[in-house]
Amino acid sequence: MSRSIQKNFRGLRALLIMAPDGGCQTLERTLHKLGLKITVARALPATEGAPVPFDVIFFDADDGADTTLDESAVADLPLIALIGSEAPSRLARVIQHRAASHILKPVRSSGIFTALLLAVNEQAVRIRHKNEVQALSRRLAGRRFVTKAVMQLITGCGLSEEDAYEWLRREAMQRRIPMEEMARHAIGLGPDPAQDAWPQYGRATRPD
Amino acid sequence: MTQRLELPIGLLISQSGSYEAVSRAIHAGAELAIGEINARPQQPVKLIPVTIDPAGSLAGYVEGARVLLRDHGLKHVVGCYTSSSRKEVLPLFEKADALLWYPSHYEGFETSENVVYSGAAPNQHIVPLTRHLLGQFGTRGWMVGSNYVWAWENNRILREAIAASGGAVLGERYFPVGETDLGDVVRQIVADCPDFVFTTLIGQSGFAFLKMLRAAAEAAGIDQPSDMPVASCSLSEAELPLLGDAASGHLSSSVYFSTIKSDENRQFTALWNERFGQMGQASADAESAYVAVHLLARAAECAGSTGFEAVREAVRDLTFDAPQGQVTVDGDNLHCWMRPRIGRSRSDGSFDILVEHPAALRPDPYLTWAHDARDGDSRDLRLIQ
Repeated sequence: MSRSIQKNFRGLRALLIMAPDGGCQTLERTLHKLGLKITVARALPATEGAPVPFDVIFFDADDGADTTLDESAVADLPLIALIGSEAPSRLARVIQHRAASHILKPVRSSGIFTALLLAVNEQAVRIRHKNEVQALSRRLAGRRFVTKAVMQLITGCGLSEEDAYEWLRREAMQRRIPMEEMARHAIGLGPDPAQDAWPQYGRATRPD
Repeated sequence: MTQRLELPIGLLISQSGSYEAVSRAIHAGAELAIGEINARPQQPVKLIPVTIDPAGSLAGYVEGARVLLRDHGLKHVVGCYTSSSRKEVLPLFEKADALLWYPSHYEGFETSENVVYSGAAPNQHIVPLTRHLLGQFGTRGWMVGSNYVWAWENNRILREAIAASGGAVLGERYFPVGETDLGDVVRQIVADCPDFVFTTLIGQSGFAFLKMLRAAAEAAGIDQPSDMPVASCSLSEAELPLLGDAASGHLSSSVYFSTIKSDENRQFTALWNERFGQMGQASADAESAYVAVHLLARAAECAGSTGFEAVREAVRDLTFDAPQGQVTVDGDNLHCWMRPRIGRSRSDGSFDILVEHPAALRPDPYLTWAHDARDGDSRDLRLIQ
């Protein structure tokens, strides 16, 4: 499936963790032309639990500036590494931080737009995948309740396996809740999630 | 009188090859400005040109840039036409701390500190043309182009605008540069009868296409210029004489047309017709090279130096009363503030100017600030005829 890519970065807040040298100036100048708001610092500012007030982070992978990057604070932000040394020990840091793209030093004006575009769009894909994984994990964790509920419906109500499954699916849909949650309710774990929302219809709650 | 400041200037412009008509016009425009500046004894700067002909080949541009920058030690070169040639020589200019004065409209997405861009940026050519086409002709378009980045990027912008306005791209085809076997695509376009055709075919392919489409439409009883007009961001006066009977009725988006009415343009076209009239009327590419050379001379004059950094800093925000009107170099991105215009070609080799922007428009090479091209209304273009 093709999605349209983000290619305009006007208004994004960029944090540049690096020494304010010539390369940093070239980067700042080009990001300014692209409409970003820029902050240069030697470390990630402490936010005490609040979200980091940036949309993208550039960090110098050579000078150890990256050691200040708190993984949990920047987990959902696109990181772009500025790489001079290609020594594996340095590059290992880049991998560890899961930089979504990179810029080779010396920094030139060309290549910056590409690095930014790749990082922002790569990060969007990663976040999408992360959300999908979370949803799948939730479903997987709830699977044993579904199985249990189906078994109970078969033995307790004499439904066929297909009918039992279909009943759960339909009830979940009517309540607009995940099937796993409906299953938990059906086997007596937790209240009917939608009982208050639709009392007037007097629909089936528990079949037992 | 004090000694004039001698400013060596390289001209890296093809005199032959597949896009020679336009490229020769660029060279002529630069020559015109050099002659004009050198002929005025009161001018504090005197230009010493060194010309190299890359003959339209990438290797020729690289070799030419090496010779100009390394062997001649030049700091200023006017040159390149295609983006691929510019991208190829750019690292050499960065290494040599030299400035390329690039005299052509292009697709944008570049802001090198080693280039002064005197041609139109995408917000000054394709964006206003897109608005004009969707507003005046309809939203069913056909796109034909030479297979390289100029075509892909312009078509990307037009395609997105068409999609956003609920229209349809009836077809999109690309051909190798120089291809003239275009019979199939011409037949398909005539059969589809789109509201407009957008072409990014360059050189010989472009000429062949316009002639074949005109003939095929006539044979089908279609009045092509009014029923399915062809539009481009590159068709210029330099090419109209090569189109024969099919020269008239095509739309072109450009910051310059030879028919602009101003004192500066009257002088410029008179000078042009006297020296280069055999090449057709003055064109955007010629004027852009002419502007580049004048900006260079003026920046050196302001800086009192011919050095790379001194001239580059002096050219920021510099203004020049060009044939097209006032041109100002943007201090941020070294592209120029210019007025977009849309013209329709005439059989006499010039253009009627249909619409023009009321003021010079800030160059926006990354389309960071441009309103979305789908903002249907053309409130920023003014009908002048």
